[in-house]
Amino acid sequence: MNSVLTQEELERILNQAVQDVTERTAGVRLHPEDKSPGEDLCTVQITFDKGFHTSLTLCADTSLLYRMACNTFHEELLEPEDLEEFGKEYFNVLCGRIAGAMFQATQIPAHFNPPVFYHGRYEPEGREIQFVLTYSNEYNEGAQLIHHVPCTGEDEASAERN
Amino acid sequence: MKRRVMVVDDSRLVRIQLEDALKGTDYEVAAYCRSGEDAIAQYAAVNPDLVTMDIIMQGMDGIDAAEIILKEHPDARIVMVSSLAYEDTFERARKIGARGFVDKPFYQEQLLKVFEEALA
Repeated sequence: MNSVLTQEELERILNQAVQDVTERTAGVRLHPEDKSPGEDLCTVQITFDKGFHTSLTLCADTSLLYRMACNTFHEELLEPEDLEEFGKEYFNVLCGRIAGAMFQATQIPAHFNPPVFYHGRYEPEGREIQFVLTYSNEYNEGAQLIHHVPCTGEDEASAERN
Repeated sequence: MKRRVMVVDDSRLVRIQLEDALKGTDYEVAAYCRSGEDAIAQYAAVNPDLVTMDIIMQGMDGIDAAEIILKEHPDARIVMVSSLAYEDTFERARKIGARGFVDKPFYQEQLLKVFEEALA
């Protein structure tokens, strides 16, 4: 992604998608804020495999994801599998929106693999962080959207393979 | 009388959003199907006024399922719903006879406008 758009343009697309999709799907307003999530975390991750060889990772306080899932499913109590189901579906819609906006800006179609959910923090192998967008809600629960790019060596190896 | 909608989507999140968006309108959800195969099997029995069809699902994709339903029931009104589609997908959907297209996540106003156009 970063080779086609400036980091500033990409951050603007991601930021707009996060705030809009989160409010529309889960009724939660996220505000950009320099506050890292706490210790009890969930991670959802997607890898773009066509058009853009990058990945997006959402690392959120479990309580925030739980709140979003409860709002969306209209439930007060959820099973752990509900949280995972919500996390994957929410991130799938979010990344669809992002890929659509990327296409509008670049005319390059992006495709991504199904989201993967983890309890705790997950860092994809062979990738390095390009930038992090940090958010919190009115209850001081936090989330980070992390944009990973292939490590320099991995990028060159991938180019040689392709 | 309310118009009956068959929702075809493997996402619980989207099914709930659709149900919420149709509350208090002239539409009601008549049936849920979690796959294209399920939609093909249930279409005749449900006989909906309108179908909302997700495109990317486990198993058969939504456009293939819509094509089969439209071959068997040429009067079916099918609206495609997806979070990610490019021009070739729109073109494929138009070619097989889909009546409209809605992006996820959707607003009620946008959804109803596409429904009205599909039923016109």
